[in-house]
Amino acid sequence: MSLDYVKFSNGFEKFMPKEYRDMVEHGPFGKKVTVSQMGSFKEALEEHPMCAGCAMTLFIRLAIIAFPNPEDTITVGTAGCGRLAISQAAIPFVYGNYGDQNGVASGLSRGLRLRFGDKPKDVVVMAGDGGTADIGFQQVLHSWFRKERFTTIMLDNEVYGNTGGQESGMTNRGAVLKMAPLGKKFEKMDMLQMAKVAGCAYVATVVPNNPRRVESVIKKAVLIAREVGSTYIQAYTSCNIEYAIPTDKVMEDAKTVENDRYQFTEYVSEEAKQYLAERYGYKEFLPKPAAAIPNKA
Amino acid sequence: MYLVANVNVEICASKSCKLCTQYCPEANTIQYSEEMGKEQGFKYGSAYIAVDRCKGCALCVWVCDSLAKNNAIKMTMIDQLPKAALTDNITYGDKSTTAVLASPMVG
Ligand SMILES: Cc1ncc(C[n+]2csc(CCOP(=O)(O)OP(=O)(O)O)c2C)c(N)n1
Ligand code: SF4
Ligand code: SF4
Ligand code: SF4
Repeated sequence: MSLDYVKFSNGFEKFMPKEYRDMVEHGPFGKKVTVSQMGSFKEALEEHPMCAGCAMTLFIRLAIIAFPNPEDTITVGTAGCGRLAISQAAIPFVYGNYGDQNGVASGLSRGLRLRFGDKPKDVVVMAGDGGTADIGFQQVLHSWFRKERFTTIMLDNEVYGNTGGQESGMTNRGAVLKMAPLGKKFEKMDMLQMAKVAGCAYVATVVPNNPRRVESVIKKAVLIAREVGSTYIQAYTSCNIEYAIPTDKVMEDAKTVENDRYQFTEYVSEEAKQYLAERYGYKEFLPKPAAAIPNKA
Repeated sequence: MYLVANVNVEICASKSCKLCTQYCPEANTIQYSEEMGKEQGFKYGSAYIAVDRCKGCALCVWVCDSLAKNNAIKMTMIDQLPKAALTDNITYGDKSTTAVLASPMVG
């Protein structure tokens, strides 16, 4: 895990496929790449079998570009659609049993700290809404209460997409799905509030129809998790298959859902604000200068 | 046969906003070239599609029509494209890429 792992081994360069050579020579490693430079550098993400037009795919693509140090990052995933793409990036990926991603990430991030000390090694969990709010719920909550320092990202398509349309805790009340034909009987879980109660230092909601915002929240969440505590991003990443959204309307749907139940929200703890301002120069979090006292004379 | 996205360089180069590539779900698929269109006298470069990676979702068509308001992308049957960019023929530079266009059917 360093720039060394994306170099060629001596004598092997000419045998490497073009995509690999492009990635070593023009990939995101060791330099800062941004969303506005997309289309001009080789991305770490490669081809994968996720469905055409899937918003989750777009979100994963943007997230990987936003990682502040891709050469020092490990992603952790679990069963569900997202791992089909996350595993196809030139970034080490750990895949456990369904739902154990936050337990795995807790051990991993602690182990990396023991091994590498203060040198930042970022651990980022990306899992579906079923993996995060249902099957992995207990481990997710415990990692937050224990203030484990890594980022949890929920890829919320409001359904179990990979297995053909069962309802999840994050499905909306009343939603009718292929394998929930009577409609869901309970409200969508408020995982944002739970993240705050459990003490996460950063909690944000985001929709991929704003690529620069995705970039900005991922960067903040990963940086804060280096030292301050757990961070949580909940991203609406529609499933066009299970919700029958025509692929050329996926962004219109994202906009509608953003207005309806996924407005951008961001909670940053005071400690995290101070850390981002002092360590990484985030001007928006610098303490405000005391307001000038109006001169009454 | 199947549909892939096709960027009209003449229309794109008048705006060249690079929005489509920020919304394409597939990585390394909508590329940007500062050179493309320059030989035809356009001020800016153009977006283009690595058609071997395109999954045909048409999301980029919506982005160019509705966000960029430029209508530069149309879905086209792959065998109706005389020439297109393929991953093997794309070269990365410092700030841009270049592509040697070839028949997507023959390579
Ligand atoms: C222990 C266990 N139970 C069930 C499954 C089958 N399974 C695979 S993916 C999945 C649902 C995934 O849904 P979600 O986490 O919401 O992700 P999505 O596919 O929607 O992105 C299930 C039930 C499994 N792999 N392991
Ligand atoms: S099933 Fe749904 S969430 Fe999964 S890849 Fe397809 S569109 Fe995306
Ligand atoms: S959105 Fe349209 S105008 Fe903008 S770069 Fe893409 S093709 Fe060109
Ligand atoms: S059709 Fe879909 S996959 Fe193809 S270039 Fe456009 S957005 Fe990308």
